Amino acid sequence: MRMGQDLLVTLHGDLDDRTVESIEQNVTSEVARTRARGTLIDVSGLDVVDSFVAQVLARLVRMIRLLGAEAAIVGIRPAVAITLVELGISMPDVTTALNAEQGMARLRRMRADGMRIDHDNHC
Amino acid sequence: MADESVVVRADESAAVLEDINFYYTQMIDNIADYAVMRLDNDGVIRNWHAGAQQLTQYAAQEIIGRPVAVFYTAEDVASGLVETDLHAAAKGGRHAAAGWRLRKDGTRFWASAVFTALHDLAGDAWGYGMVVRDLTHAREQELTLHGLEQLVDSIADYQVIRLDRDGRVCSWNPGAQKLTGYAAEEVLGHHVSMFYTDDDARAGVLQQELADAVRDGSTETEGWRIRKDGRRFWANVILSPIRDEQGELTGFVKVARDLTERREQERLVKQQGDEILELSTPVIQVWDKVLILPLIGTLDSGRAARLTESLLARIAADQAEVVILDISGVPQIDSGVAQHLLETVEAARLMGTDSILSGVRPDTAQSIVHLGIELGGLRSRTSLKDALQLALRLIEARAGSGNGAGDGADVRA
Repeated sequence: MRMGQDLLVTLHGDLDDRTVESIEQNVTSEVARTRARGTLIDVSGLDVVDSFVAQVLARLVRMIRLLGAEAAIVGIRPAVAITLVELGISMPDVTTALNAEQGMARLRRMRADGMRIDHDNHC
Repeated sequence: MADESVVVRADESAAVLEDINFYYTQMIDNIADYAVMRLDNDGVIRNWHAGAQQLTQYAAQEIIGRPVAVFYTAEDVASGLVETDLHAAAKGGRHAAAGWRLRKDGTRFWASAVFTALHDLAGDAWGYGMVVRDLTHAREQELTLHGLEQLVDSIADYQVIRLDRDGRVCSWNPGAQKLTGYAAEEVLGHHVSMFYTDDDARAGVLQQELADAVRDGSTETEGWRIRKDGRRFWANVILSPIRDEQGELTGFVKVARDLTERREQERLVKQQGDEILELSTPVIQVWDKVLILPLIGTLDSGRAARLTESLLARIAADQAEVVILDISGVPQIDSGVAQHLLETVEAARLMGTDSILSGVRPDTAQSIVHLGIELGGLRSRTSLKDALQLALRLIEARAGSGNGAGDGADVRA
């Protein structure tokens, strides 16, 4: 779903290898096609978030960044957060937010920071 | 004398009669488990056989001609039991009696004796046939069984019942009646699933329990069961299979007791424990989107887990963007406590919330570093006031859509 300059990707149900593949294809082609500046990945609808799903999310974020957009994960529920920490998966490089609204704010701020860095480099 | 009359009146040749006598004697002598003897009209032993010797230890020459009273105990003889037995046989034609009798060496055996009045061809009394069996062992078994039944009946607080292979009730005890409210005649032959809740009965819980008992040799379960009056009780049930000598399953023993009260107490204790934990880990909203978690006292792993849980639940409910973990009330930070704090911070970050540590005293700062605890990028302030200021600036920076890159850089410093 497109929201201004940003894309909202909603994941739900159960993820297996085949759905992951099609999600990766869809998201990357959509980011490239719409020239989106940021992408929010909403995981609140996922049945399970385990180490496999965490890897998938981290990969998705890296792909989106390679396409020149920022990415943030929103909607990690308390129980999921506890499980991930217990599994030792903290996804330190991934930006997270409580909801889509805050996620968009974070994406905007990252873009601002990014422009500042670009600007600094030009100096 | 009597023997002669048989010979005379029987219209047989003496040789044929001798043959018959021989075969009969041989047949009777080969009966080992019974003592067979003949008494005359006065109760004197006239015929003896090998089985009788085996049972009583008397040889034929020792016993023939002696009264049958030698097998009776002194008390029985004194009370006239010998005469009573013989009279009963003479009158009714047949008389069965059971009681303690004596062997030659004076030891007792539990005898089952059958007296049969004999008559000659003219119909005159011709003494008695007496067949005796040693039922000492059977009597012991019977007594044991009876004792077990009494034992089971005396158990008032436990349901101890027997089921057949398919789970139908075969025996009932007072404990079962007390527990379920049903009398024996109301349940015998009925399927034991009548005590299960409808849901459990539909889900085949009983069948599963029986199968488990057969597989594991015994199974213990707990669950709600239904009384006759419709009230339910929390039952602890032990089911064990019964097998015959060949190992074939013949049924089950079910022992059950009512644990409703204990369960209620356990629930109450847990509830109170939860409430205490709840009270000891309050989460306070101090500002829009800012939560404070004041940590007081010692943090064990139970409290710490509870703390993480309630904090994350509040973050989700309030959509809080910043939490302040105030540790000024924690007497000592060890590596365990620090680990818990870091995990909480990590989980909060995954949800999209920033954390600030506050109330760090100089000695706490020293011990954290000396313990080698790596707090990563966790922001830390000494006073709650400073922490709150930082929190508000973080919120402002989050809300601002990049208006002033300096803000972000400042906050991160």
